[in-house]
Amino acid sequence: MTEPRPVSGRAADAISPGRTAVALVAGWLVPGAGHAVVFRVRRGILFFVLIMGSFGLGLAQDGRLALYSQREGFLTGLQLVANIGVGPADAVARMNVYGEAAYALPDPYSSGYKPLVEKFRARQRSAVSAYGTAYLWSAGLMNLLLLMDIWDIAKRRKD
Amino acid sequence: MRSHFANLILYSAIIATFFSVLTRRDRREQLRFGGLVFLGMTGGVLLLAYLMLPFPR
Repeated sequence: MTEPRPVSGRAADAISPGRTAVALVAGWLVPGAGHAVVFRVRRGILFFVLIMGSFGLGLAQDGRLALYSQREGFLTGLQLVANIGVGPADAVARMNVYGEAAYALPDPYSSGYKPLVEKFRARQRSAVSAYGTAYLWSAGLMNLLLLMDIWDIAKRRKD
Repeated sequence: MRSHFANLILYSAIIATFFSVLTRRDRREQLRFGGLVFLGMTGGVLLLAYLMLPFPR
């Protein structure tokens, strides 16, 4: 297997493994922050605006904050990945919407099941919920793509 | 925001900007690629909507 060809310009600057790790964590915690850590500040600011804008539009339009269900484990698992991709902002949103950072449906016989499902369904009844969901999940998936971009920048595959 | 069209424009703009900045480095290339993605998304949706016009629910 051939080594990736280093690109010219700023990408030739060495980015240590430690900085790469910090960038990846920062990038997940705050969208765009990872790019700032690897010296792409302007790009990071733009990504922050795009991702948090999409996330905000999703919340405002009753987008689905997925809950893992064992009955539909694969699909709800993928939905969760898309939600969680945006970082801790997702947990904050869940606390506001559900009253707790809920990620899975509780046992149907437990006392917490009905109130949580009611809140979940109430958002889905909204006429614009499908749009909100598209914005929310896109925000999470875009942020996951950014983490891969940071990795490529650190490995000097990209500028 | 309850307008389908406004959502289409806004969503397409966000996605087009994101991918143009992510995948292109040259400013002119970014504009070209972003414009193509934006037009592809909005145009594709409008074309699909037009084709579905004779088949209401």
